[in-house]
Amino acid sequence: MTNKLLISLIAGVVLVLGSSAIAQDAAPMDAEKMLAGSMQAEAAAAASRGEFRQLDQDVQSLKKEVLDLNRDLFLLEEELLFPANSQVAFFISMDVGEYFDLDSVSLKIDGKEVANYLYTEREAGALLRGGVHRVHMANLKTGNHELVAIFTGAGPHTRDYRRGATMNFSKGIGAKYLELEITDRVQKQQPEFVIKEWE
Amino acid sequence: MKIRNIAVGLVFSVFAVTSLASSGLAGRPAPDFALKSSSGENLRLSEYRGDVVMINFWATWCGPCRQEMPLLDELYSRYQRVGFSLLGVNIDDDSRRAMDMISELGVSFPVLFDTRKEVSRLYEVDAMPVTVIVDREGNVRHVHQGYKPGYEQKYLDEIRSLLRE
Repeated sequence: MTNKLLISLIAGVVLVLGSSAIAQDAAPMDAEKMLAGSMQAEAAAAASRGEFRQLDQDVQSLKKEVLDLNRDLFLLEEELLFPANSQVAFFISMDVGEYFDLDSVSLKIDGKEVANYLYTEREAGALLRGGVHRVHMANLKTGNHELVAIFTGAGPHTRDYRRGATMNFSKGIGAKYLELEITDRVQKQQPEFVIKEWE
Repeated sequence: MKIRNIAVGLVFSVFAVTSLASSGLAGRPAPDFALKSSSGENLRLSEYRGDVVMINFWATWCGPCRQEMPLLDELYSRYQRVGFSLLGVNIDDDSRRAMDMISELGVSFPVLFDTRKEVSRLYEVDAMPVTVIVDREGNVRHVHQGYKPGYEQKYLDEIRSLLRE
């Protein structure tokens, strides 16, 4: 009886030892598999990162193409709508501007209102810093035309100020550019509005 | 049969309302404009590029506008710091009435006066109020016509999602 017990005990120990040996064999196998798996995952992630970068570059280049196309279309549209020969452009500029705080400009050509532009603080500031604003562009027939520009804003001592400037000009062949300049007249301590043609 | 007809009618009316809300301007660049504001300065929409902008067209004779404006003002005060701007565009012929209503309601957002109705034509305003939401890129994303209690929750969701973009 004791012999049987002993034999079964030995068999048990042998079985346990055997299974642990198998487990030890299996452990390196699992580690290798996991390592291979993680390497594959890393490679896949790197590939997807590369794809994303490529996609991003594609999107950027597409965006650039769209912008270029937009610019070309804009130029084409301007050329078609405002042929150079009959084109007249009106610009606003400001010099010093101590006696005048610009609010808006209204333009009339041959008695018809063609533009009415409200200037924000930033825009008026940009004019004061030397900026020139194209307030209107039109196509006019050759011949004589009358331009009336009405400037509103705050004059000396921040009083409401409204002044007009008129100019008769002749439109020949070729584009014409007119500048409406707001300057300070120090002697009179008043703003002055001058319309001049660009040569 | 009657119930079925009502259900079909409801479905169609829902489609009509949603198509109305999304028609016209939605998805297009918001037309630029400049108007005189209640503070006396001129404000131009394009100078708000980079902000989520809500443009609310209203009139003094419009009851729902009166209801809606204080709620919009709350949205404005809460989200102004994180890049949200609200421009109220009043379409009355006489801006003095609008000024009275602004002081009566105590709203703090800038109100612009479109007395010549040029901007409302530009935005195809044919109901009162009309609320247009413009994203940071300057594109119209949502257009709401009219106002009913609960719309402010919709505005809130839309503003928050656009601010996150």
